Amino acid sequence: MMTNTTVARPASLGSAPKPALKPKSVRVRNRRLAIFAGQVIVLLVFLAAWQFLPLIPALSAWSHVFDPYFVSSPTKVATSVFDLATGSNNSVLIWPYMWQTVFASLLGTVIGLVLGGVCGLILSNFPFLSAVMRPFVVAANATPRVALIPVVVIIFGLSLTTSVVIAVLVVFFVAFFNAYEGGISIPRQMIDNARLLGANNARVLLHVRVRYALAWTITGLPLAVTFAIISVVTGEILTGYQGTGYLLATAATTGNATLTFGVVFYLAVVGLLIVMAAEALRRRVLHWWAK
Amino acid sequence: MNAMSTTLDARVSEEEPLADVKDLRYAYEDGSPVLDGIDFRLKTGTVTGVVGPSGCGKSTLLSILAGLSEPTGGSVSWAPGVMTDRHPTSMMFQNDTLLPWLTVRQNVGLHYRLSAKRNRPSATEQRERIESLITLAGLTGAEDRFPYQLSGGMRRRTAFLAAVTPRPRTLLLDEPFSALDEPTRIAIHQDVHDVIKQQRITTLLITHDLAEAISLSDQVLVLTARPASVFRSFDIPFGEKRSMLELRDDPTFLSLYGEIWEHLATQIQRSNQRAA
Repeated sequence: MMTNTTVARPASLGSAPKPALKPKSVRVRNRRLAIFAGQVIVLLVFLAAWQFLPLIPALSAWSHVFDPYFVSSPTKVATSVFDLATGSNNSVLIWPYMWQTVFASLLGTVIGLVLGGVCGLILSNFPFLSAVMRPFVVAANATPRVALIPVVVIIFGLSLTTSVVIAVLVVFFVAFFNAYEGGISIPRQMIDNARLLGANNARVLLHVRVRYALAWTITGLPLAVTFAIISVVTGEILTGYQGTGYLLATAATTGNATLTFGVVFYLAVVGLLIVMAAEALRRRVLHWWAK
Repeated sequence: MNAMSTTLDARVSEEEPLADVKDLRYAYEDGSPVLDGIDFRLKTGTVTGVVGPSGCGKSTLLSILAGLSEPTGGSVSWAPGVMTDRHPTSMMFQNDTLLPWLTVRQNVGLHYRLSAKRNRPSATEQRERIESLITLAGLTGAEDRFPYQLSGGMRRRTAFLAAVTPRPRTLLLDEPFSALDEPTRIAIHQDVHDVIKQQRITTLLITHDLAEAISLSDQVLVLTARPASVFRSFDIPFGEKRSMLELRDDPTFLSLYGEIWEHLATQIQRSNQRAA
């Protein structure tokens, strides 16, 4: 009787039509919409909490975090953001300060990338030299660059140069390690192949090593530019000289929470835009880099 | 195109060996021998296949012939001045050597980018050479793609053409198709065979695939277990016109395969015993 063990299902169960699945593209779009809706809700909850919680006396008495004097409010910050952009209500204009910071960051990034890239490439090409330099490079990288800001200020004074140098100090190592890594990770056979195809040392360097190191350096561009902005703003806060950092320091020391948040807002937006641009540039230049 | 076909057909005295390898020896720095007196001749315009147990020193032999390492004994004598207009040696490596930021066309023409300017043919000649090779190897339509956009087989074809572009006197193939699946490999064998024969490139093929060695070669050498010497040499009688698909069930192919395999198996066994 082993042949007849399958139990016949009632027709209504066995032939129950499956609900038709929506096409994949529709499901993907719905999912994206749901995620976006979730993000909007999180933002609204956060803004509402920021706006209304400090109005509860018990809370603001309990902690400065809920004291409107210290945390301002979204509506006030929004007004401040508008004023900073237009100069209305006798506000300072953010743009000259922002320009200082952005200019120093970008210039520092470019100089740092070039210097770090070249040094990384050179060391990756000469194992002996790189063995000699290794402990110094590691020590220099482990030193908090912010700690060097006073030294930079003493040497270059309160100037744009100081901001640029600070950015270079940070970006240099990002580029250096990337270029070095790129330089030593070139497959041996690729070099051998280039030589057998008729390349002398100079051409191997130019057509293979430099290209490789360059690609790896550019990979670090978004990270480098982020680091540059952070360090430039830090430098400006510490030295109180020009730029958004100076504006932040002034706002904070005068107890102007609204202005502080307004400036921070601009820094976040501009930082995001620059990183996105760097990411786009990287993807465009390194389109052939398939992971 | 006329100038081109005459250079393509440039003949050399077929009987003369292009390279005479005599008692070639190689040992690691600690003195352990890898090559123990290798003797053979590379006949001009022919393909020599080298098979042997894994790790027997096949790749060392190849890198000595490529000039990438120095032998510790013996000699390789190259025929003097045969076709001096030709690039001496190209090699196709086991791993990918395509430059990922160059297109197929640029990779095929890599030699022209890398060699000294005074040795380069005119731009027109370069272009014609590259296009004709791309057509020969069936890469038409993929010229402007980058390596990451290619299948494994297409990448290997591109690497092969890059090695052929300089019109090398000798082409060294270091297990170049081992990572491909069987149908792709057989298709590539056909194109490689046709190009090599058409361009009259003397070739040394290192492989662990005996069928591959027999399909492509005019002569197959079986190396002994390490330290390697030439155990036996076999002439492969299939000539210049071969169909890789038909060869696979040709009775002569099958009996040759059986015969050589017996010798290869002995060496593999010896190699395994030594390892154990």
